[in-house]
Amino acid sequence: MSREKLKDKASIKILEARKSEGMETIWDRYEAQQPQCGFGLLGICCRMCNMGPCRIDPFGTGPQKGACGATADTIAARDMTRQTAAGSASHSDHARDLGHTLIAIGKGTVQGYSIRDPYKLRIIAAEYGIKVENKKDNELALELGERVLQEFGKQDDSQLTLSKRAPKRQQEIWKKLDIFPRGIDREVVETLARTHEGMDQDYKNLIQSTMRVSLADGWGGSMIATEVSDILFGSPKPIRARANLGVLKEDEVNIIIHGHEPTLSDVIVTASQDPELIKLAKEKGTKGITVAGLCCTANEILVRRGIPVAGNFLQQELSILTGAVEIMVVDIQCVSPGIAQAASHFHTKVISTSAKASIPGVEHIDFREDNALDTAKKIIKIAIDNYPNRDKTKVIIPKEAMDLVAGFTAENIFYHLGGKFRASYKPLNENIANGRIRGVAGVVGCDNPRMGSGSSHVALVKELIKNNVLVVQTGCAAIECAKEGLLTPETAIEMAGEGLKEVCKAVGIPPALHLGSCVDNSRILIACTEMVKEGGIGKSLDELPVAGAALEWMAEKAMAIGWYFVASGALVVFGTPMRISGSQAVYDYVTKDMENITGGKWAFEEDPIKAAHLMIDHIDRKRKALKLAPMMYTQSYTVTGHLPSE
Amino acid sequence: MKDKTFVIIGNSAAGLSCIEAIRENDKDSKIINISQEAHPPYSRCLLSYYLAGAIDKERLWVRSKDYYKDFNVEPLLKTEVASIDEKNKTVKVSGGRTINFDCLLFGAGGSAKKVDLKGIDKKGVFYLRTLDDADRIRAMLKCVKDVAVLGGGLIGLRAAYGLSRQGKKVHVIVKSSHVFSQILDFESADMIRQELVQNGIQIRTGLAAVEILGKEKCEGVLLDDGSRFECQLVIIGKGVSANIDLLKDKVKINEGIIVDDYLRTSQDFIYAAGDVAEGYDVLEGKPSVNAIWPAAVRQGKIAGFNISGQKTIYEGSCRMNSVDFFGIACISFGIVRPQGSEFEELIHGNLSKNIYRKIVLKNNRIVGGILVTDVEKHGVYMHLALQKIDISDIKDILVDEYFDFGKVIPLIKRQKDSFTRPEYQDANSTYTSIF
Amino acid sequence: METKKIFCDITKCVGCRACELACAVEHSATRDLFLAILESPRPKKRIDTQFIEKDVFQSIGCQHCDDPPCVEACMASCIHKDKKTGKVDIDTKRCVACWMCIMACPFAAISRKAATENKALKCDLCPERECPACVDSCPTRALYHEARKDWAKREKNKVLIKK
Repeated sequence: MSREKLKDKASIKILEARKSEGMETIWDRYEAQQPQCGFGLLGICCRMCNMGPCRIDPFGTGPQKGACGATADTIAARDMTRQTAAGSASHSDHARDLGHTLIAIGKGTVQGYSIRDPYKLRIIAAEYGIKVENKKDNELALELGERVLQEFGKQDDSQLTLSKRAPKRQQEIWKKLDIFPRGIDREVVETLARTHEGMDQDYKNLIQSTMRVSLADGWGGSMIATEVSDILFGSPKPIRARANLGVLKEDEVNIIIHGHEPTLSDVIVTASQDPELIKLAKEKGTKGITVAGLCCTANEILVRRGIPVAGNFLQQELSILTGAVEIMVVDIQCVSPGIAQAASHFHTKVISTSAKASIPGVEHIDFREDNALDTAKKIIKIAIDNYPNRDKTKVIIPKEAMDLVAGFTAENIFYHLGGKFRASYKPLNENIANGRIRGVAGVVGCDNPRMGSGSSHVALVKELIKNNVLVVQTGCAAIECAKEGLLTPETAIEMAGEGLKEVCKAVGIPPALHLGSCVDNSRILIACTEMVKEGGIGKSLDELPVAGAALEWMAEKAMAIGWYFVASGALVVFGTPMRISGSQAVYDYVTKDMENITGGKWAFEEDPIKAAHLMIDHIDRKRKALKLAPMMYTQSYTVTGHLPSE
Repeated sequence: MKDKTFVIIGNSAAGLSCIEAIRENDKDSKIINISQEAHPPYSRCLLSYYLAGAIDKERLWVRSKDYYKDFNVEPLLKTEVASIDEKNKTVKVSGGRTINFDCLLFGAGGSAKKVDLKGIDKKGVFYLRTLDDADRIRAMLKCVKDVAVLGGGLIGLRAAYGLSRQGKKVHVIVKSSHVFSQILDFESADMIRQELVQNGIQIRTGLAAVEILGKEKCEGVLLDDGSRFECQLVIIGKGVSANIDLLKDKVKINEGIIVDDYLRTSQDFIYAAGDVAEGYDVLEGKPSVNAIWPAAVRQGKIAGFNISGQKTIYEGSCRMNSVDFFGIACISFGIVRPQGSEFEELIHGNLSKNIYRKIVLKNNRIVGGILVTDVEKHGVYMHLALQKIDISDIKDILVDEYFDFGKVIPLIKRQKDSFTRPEYQDANSTYTSIF
Repeated sequence: METKKIFCDITKCVGCRACELACAVEHSATRDLFLAILESPRPKKRIDTQFIEKDVFQSIGCQHCDDPPCVEACMASCIHKDKKTGKVDIDTKRCVACWMCIMACPFAAISRKAATENKALKCDLCPERECPACVDSCPTRALYHEARKDWAKREKNKVLIKK
């Protein structure tokens, strides 16, 4: 049963209570879907054309080709390529909307937004070749906004501006493979065209397209989203907050913001602090208004404003099932239709705000930049008005809420590691080179009932830090680890290996650093690039002692992220494989041959401990190739060793 | 309490299934099972596998050690039937014992057809019919390099295949122009022949042996074209003749013993089943001796029901044979080489893949067929044939690669009464409800 | 006791072949889809999804017949119908691959195993499971594991509901 792997106590408490009341959740629906279609799981069902759907028999007695003649190799690769394009499109469309907000600020047609990081505005504008001297923020915002939007529709064959940040060797590889990201929309459109019936059928050529469309995300859409969000909403700084369902309050109006874009959530946070609304809330007999985030929206407002986190993807229904949520406001991505059904059991109102993401049975309030603050206030008022409908006898709020520190960025990591007076990546690189820190691992991605319902991330991070690997995190994986106390120095440092512990203690950081939402995986690319620039631990991304994992990946976005890391030279570990297992050729190509092509490769491993050691072995191989010093404290921490805290 | 005495002659397919059928209805009557062989019940059909070393002796026994005890049967093994007195209802057996019976099943089986050939008495010349034959052949295999097999039918080729698997150089001498002339057509037989030849078995068609050479022991074979070759072992597989001498002039006999719908001979209390009986052949439309295991089991069973008082009609059977040489399977049934304009042949073949499907039709009813390699659907065709289903609706897809049982479902609905097995209705029940 | 076997409600079968995969995986060494496809020889299904006519499919395997022709045909005497459960089982150890059972089966429910182990193969109703894998796997719940009389009852009720 998928639910048995769920480890989060708050979630279990709600689930057990509500199960007995006959309320259905994502785990029930996941179980009801078992067993799932083997052809789909193996990626050998092709639905591209109306001669199909065609399926390849993986056991070899039935058909080995689709009606058109496509083999398992073509079908698996083609479908994977399309999924990656959809993932890339998701992040990039998110970025495009932020570009529009930037322009609206420039034109002064917004309400509730301003440039919060004018310094970064200038840096990024300059990077885009805009003259920044003697220009007001508004002017620059308009110019940069337009420049940024050009990246989407660019038709010439030059590379995307931000992709020039990549180390020289990566750029050479991309040029050689002809996978340079050109225009963001163009790569998505071209990929869709190439995967149409009767087009690209050679799996190697299709995977070339996969890599290009993913690079247009990592060094394009996602990176733009991160940078523009920093400009608009402020660059994150380390900040303390709390995470898990326990952040909801019995005696306050509880508002949950769920989805991905900071545009909506930021202004709702602002509106929730409006004294008049607070007064109104108190008039209803409450002590105030609590705004909590969920999923990547949570990460956006957490890293910038310290707003508490109600939970990650799998807790969206559970948060409603506390019975204590007046309103859940959602925008885009990872919003499960199940929340409408969950809300029907309680007084909770769910409100969708994006014209691009409408949910059956959910009230819609269109959210636009020009009246954002008014809309936000209106939404909060709905929440306050809904409070008297809360049935207090039905409320179950778990106590669990864990402290965490978030808000690290590529720019401020070195600030912390180096200290105020020698802010650079030098201390990180030195500590890697001298064997105190083994390397850096990204542990990111979704939480998925197919895997551990979040628990795999925790096990993976514990194993990594125990082995002196510094962990960087984003997305729902970061929230899961936050709930388990892995993101706070006080509890986490003791779980780290001796070397990593020394560094974390000296600097005062946790061994796992929260970098933000899933578009903020671009921060990891930049941080790695900075490590290369600093020197001493590899001249290109594929030489660095680093690795990444998204064991519980669920969304197509994760495939885009995984692929842009692989195309940039990293090892990426997924728990359950992408849907390519039905083609041995494709599987071998991405898990083995790829290392000789981009320097990166895929690995698939469901067991978090085994996955950790795949990553550690990879990092060790890189260390060996670089002839770095042996690890300082290897003996005391082996696979079977106990955590000091246990 | 039933206190009759049933005598069952023969302890192979027909005899055994007869015993088991009787015991379903009658637990008490005396059953005496007479066999001239000393062994417990074994499957003759497995002898070529035994010869090939593919199975050991244990696997020849087709019933448990305690079979006779479990079924309350008195076995008279290694016992010859001296005579049957149909007037007094007695059987006299070797050793002088006379047994009274109420009912008798005659399932004496067949014997290898004897041939008249110069030098046939030499050491190293065998027929292959009984376990003792097989044991004798196995005993001398060590000193054998070359083998001559006379006959290109099932017995001959199965023996040839088995001995070739034992590493012997095998020469098969076939009088007809092709192998399996009784059960396959030329095309399919040639596929099998080529496969055998490719695997090192020499097959010479249109020839006959005229003399077995050598002094005491067999040293070679002389053929009618004057050629000769060396061999230390000769196996003769020229077919089987029914062991009907005991009943000669006592019941009506044609090629085999003539039986009615209840498998009774012309004597009320004597039944016949298996290789001796001339049961009804549904596809030939006339009685015929089908010396095959499944027919023997069926006939023995029906006879047993009738003997024990449960009136059961034998619905008839047809000829069917299955072989597998070097992984190439071939199954055929009924009429495979039709003569006459009333027949129609549907053929699909792919020589390079050794695939061959042929169905013979008469008045849009299947009367025979051959499948090579892709044999799984054989039973579907055969049962359509046995039930005389009009297949005009599916004629155009009948020998298609993708023909399967699913295509028969609409026929079950339309010709409901012809499909007699209840399982057909199980498969059809929800289909019928759609429309 | 009446034979429990697998019935397919043709009105619900969408021809997805999920039963075939579940069957092959259940009869694999690893019992895991992702590992089973890598096994050599690859596991083989014992149930077949068949196209009857446009938009009409069925999944069919061994019918565990009341009067099984395969049992009569087996010259190695390795196929038996269990007197208690009615299940027709092949004792694979004794099978000599003569294909007499294939020759006799009216439903083409018996197949030949991969070349490395030449043996007759058919539905064994998943002896290690409470409910056969194909039935559990069917996304439209078109397959039932039950006795003929229960199946008939279900069908009768369906017709009544329709009326």
